[in-house]
Amino acid sequence: MSETFAITLDDVGKRFMRHADRRNTLKERIVRGRSRSTQDFWAVRNVNVQIPKGSVYGLIGHNGSGKSTLLKLITGIYRPTEGSISSDGRVAALIELGAGFHPDMTGRENIRLNGSILGLSKSEIENAMETIIDFSGLREFIDDPVKHYSSGMYVRLGFSVAVHMKPDVLLVDEVLAVGDEEFQRKCFDHLYTLRREGRTIVVVSHGLGQLEGLCDEVAWLDHGTVQEIGPATEVIGSYLHRVNAEEAKANAEIAAIRDDTTMRAGSGLIRSTGARLIDAQHASINHTETGTTFGIEVDLHCHEQVLGPNVRLAFQHETGPLVTMLSNHRIGFDFDYIEGDKTVTAFLADNPLLPGRYRVHIDIFDHTGSVLIDNWDDALEFTVRSPRGEIGQGFVELPYTYEIR
Amino acid sequence: MIGELYRQRALVWAFANRDFATRYRSSLLGWAWSLLQPLATLLVYAAVFSLVFRIQAPPLGSDPDRTSFAAFLFTGMVTFNLFSGLLMLSMTQLKSNGELLRKVHFPAWTPILGASVVQLVQVALELIVLVAMFLWLGNIGISWLLAIPILFATAMFGQGIGLMLSVVNARYGDVQYIVQVILQALYFLTPILYPLSLVEGTASWLANIVKANPLTWFVEAMHQVMYSLTAPQWWVIPGLLAFGFTVFWAGFTIFNRSSEDIGELL
Repeated sequence: MSETFAITLDDVGKRFMRHADRRNTLKERIVRGRSRSTQDFWAVRNVNVQIPKGSVYGLIGHNGSGKSTLLKLITGIYRPTEGSISSDGRVAALIELGAGFHPDMTGRENIRLNGSILGLSKSEIENAMETIIDFSGLREFIDDPVKHYSSGMYVRLGFSVAVHMKPDVLLVDEVLAVGDEEFQRKCFDHLYTLRREGRTIVVVSHGLGQLEGLCDEVAWLDHGTVQEIGPATEVIGSYLHRVNAEEAKANAEIAAIRDDTTMRAGSGLIRSTGARLIDAQHASINHTETGTTFGIEVDLHCHEQVLGPNVRLAFQHETGPLVTMLSNHRIGFDFDYIEGDKTVTAFLADNPLLPGRYRVHIDIFDHTGSVLIDNWDDALEFTVRSPRGEIGQGFVELPYTYEIR
Repeated sequence: MIGELYRQRALVWAFANRDFATRYRSSLLGWAWSLLQPLATLLVYAAVFSLVFRIQAPPLGSDPDRTSFAAFLFTGMVTFNLFSGLLMLSMTQLKSNGELLRKVHFPAWTPILGASVVQLVQVALELIVLVAMFLWLGNIGISWLLAIPILFATAMFGQGIGLMLSVVNARYGDVQYIVQVILQALYFLTPILYPLSLVEGTASWLANIVKANPLTWFVEAMHQVMYSLTAPQWWVIPGLLAFGFTVFWAGFTIFNRSSEDIGELL
């Protein structure tokens, strides 16, 4: 065991039997014999990870990538099928908070029990008792049976016990997403404190932003194997890159279904067949920035000659509200007679939209504005980013000035 | 093994405390309930077996002219209940603590022994009733002291088997029902409801089965020291202790070997 590493995983693999295949009663075992099929799978395999002492280490990956299995292996709940795991110091897991709580016992009794399970001695528990109660913020209810607690209170108590047992290595699994804003912040502050004290923390989370701020190093797991290990920002970056690429692929498939024009409302004299985001030079782009001129191009296919249609683009914010509706009739732009394939472009100069995701719905009315020709919901979805990187407050930036006297 | 048991005493105690606190918390009469069941059984069995079947208990140690079937029966019952109570309770502990064992790593036998500590309190209550019965009968002797090592050996025996079976029961959920049936059969194959001499006089093959039943050794020893007020032969108690300890050691060892991945099993 190297002195610099708190936890060393050496070529670790964990194989599981398929659950459906297990004989759960002696009767089944006798009647159906030993299971023949070897339907097993490797939850994690060939994992080589060294977690330095005093570091905060993150594990990321999609659901089912083996993050939680790895944590359970580190705590010793699972035994590795192959490879070896060595840890230096007391390991405590926050895999499921309050797992050992008994509903009929009071908060205080449960602190004692949970502390003992986590390996604290009686005097250590009594010494930490007041701190734990204060940290949990549940002093008022501490002598009530925990069955009367809300789920949030339950978790707060569990977290308070676990972090106060002074572990050398603390394993945290997705538990930071619990509790209210204030308690979450408290948890984070505490994790930072533990980090400053030189304790090792291993965090599993989908909150990539949180991880980026907290972790020194991150391992990215995919289908049970390590994809990348390195500094948090780098690994999270390449993980996000992959996720985005996969999402784009999936979106392309959805788009193909959306493009099915036969299902649309309207008379169908004109069908919009394509829509995309472009920059001021008509080049296709995948996102735009606040303050930058951009346009939306819509491909139209006219089945016959149509007089002066109104092509409207509705912008809907990701949170639901309709932000605005562009209409060539409103600004007095007349297409006159159109036929065949045309491309209509609407430009938004100095993009007033604030950062966020926007969906575009297209509809086309005839020149009277009363007959619907085509209606294409969710024709396009795009992201507006801020050149300065901040998150949008609201939907649009209105032209304004300040004055002070 | 002893060292490990000692190291984890706080945790065993914490589990015992939990079970103490929750076992009878919501019932008014609390521990009185735990005596109701054995006393009711005693009453029914005593009535049926001594009045209907006319089974004669051996003479009391204090007065060879008197017998007490109820006292004889209860001596056997307490011993058997100590064994079966520990066994049955231990067997279900892994399941009832499954939630915890799946999520936290700690020695899996600690909640089992914790539950057993609580079970021992129940046994102690039954013992108090037994002693009260004998005091009332005036059947008192120095041989009573020998009951302590005998009961200790019985407890180790039951706990050892309980530890072994708990892992099997965690894997195959129907084991506890099978064991329940076997225990019921054992109850009647142990001289609790009848003196050993009764079987010996009727069917020798049955007597051989009864004598081969380890529980018979414990119950007979208890009959001797508590009821007949005689000391068993010198080798009996060391023998029982050695047997009890061996079973406990085997149970503990097997348990530790096979419960390492208990978190996955539950």
